[in-house]
Amino acid sequence: MAKMTLEELRNLRGSKKKEMTQRDGDKCAQIVIGMGTCGIAAGAKDAFDAFLDELNHNDVKDTRITQTGCMGLCFSEPTVEVAVPDMPRVIYGNVDAQVARRIVREHILGKSLVSDHIFDKPAQDIIK
Amino acid sequence: MHATLCDLITDLVQNAFEADATEIKLNVEETEKNLKVVIQDNGKGMSAETLEKAKDPFWSDGRKHRHRNVGLGLPFLFQTSEMTNGRVEIDSQEGLGTTVTFHFDPTHVDLPVFGNFTTAAITLMTYGFKGNLTIERSRNGMRYTLSRNELADALGDLNDLESLTLLKAFVESNEEELNHNDSDIL
Repeated sequence: MAKMTLEELRNLRGSKKKEMTQRDGDKCAQIVIGMGTCGIAAGAKDAFDAFLDELNHNDVKDTRITQTGCMGLCFSEPTVEVAVPDMPRVIYGNVDAQVARRIVREHILGKSLVSDHIFDKPAQDIIK
Repeated sequence: MHATLCDLITDLVQNAFEADATEIKLNVEETEKNLKVVIQDNGKGMSAETLEKAKDPFWSDGRKHRHRNVGLGLPFLFQTSEMTNGRVEIDSQEGLGTTVTFHFDPTHVDLPVFGNFTTAAITLMTYGFKGNLTIERSRNGMRYTLSRNELADALGDLNDLESLTLLKAFVESNEEELNHNDSDIL
């Protein structure tokens, strides 16, 4: 791949604008990856790469991936919060690349929770 | 310590995010003999006393998690440096900001692998930091620069899947050029 310029980047994004304007914000799935020291050490960036790859592989469009610090569940990092419209918000633990791909296929596409990795909320002593 | 140097760098830049900085510069300079990393922010800085405490893995300023006295970011840096005969300098002034500089020997057998810089750069650029983050990256004389403000201007919402995908292609193409030059030398 030749080195991409900022101008090329801008144009590529411009060509996607049409698809974007049709998007309804409320229908957007949200993925929040815990990227504190604990998350990073446990491989949160592998999960990030896997989410990006699997979402594109399955041609899922309406998704945002954001990051946060430690959710207090350091023992089960990487932790990831997933919010899909009309489904409960879920925190998943021990999300390696393989589990990240399962979350895309089973939760985001299949509308079914990945039950063996669920934590229902952040750790008690972290909630103010 | 962190498994890769890119993990360590990510962690240290996040310290700058949390120091209420508006302007952060990350400089990563690789040569065959030296790896130099500079993280400069204009955040709230630390007093000499706070800086001394921050070197303790069982100390945290308590702002994030009141009941947890753990802060491993800087301790991981010092640990890696001590294990590999590296050099760390931290210059911090309250109200002005902090500059963390370190030099590692890439040939040292105990130095963690460098890791994936593309993912490190993307996660830092899309962390949610509202100020400007500039990343200057060079390897054996080749270099490129990324600016969060310029990327946000070109892409709009950086956390949107299409933006992230384009951003990845953009950083990868810049990284490939650095590594391509590498194979020419060898």
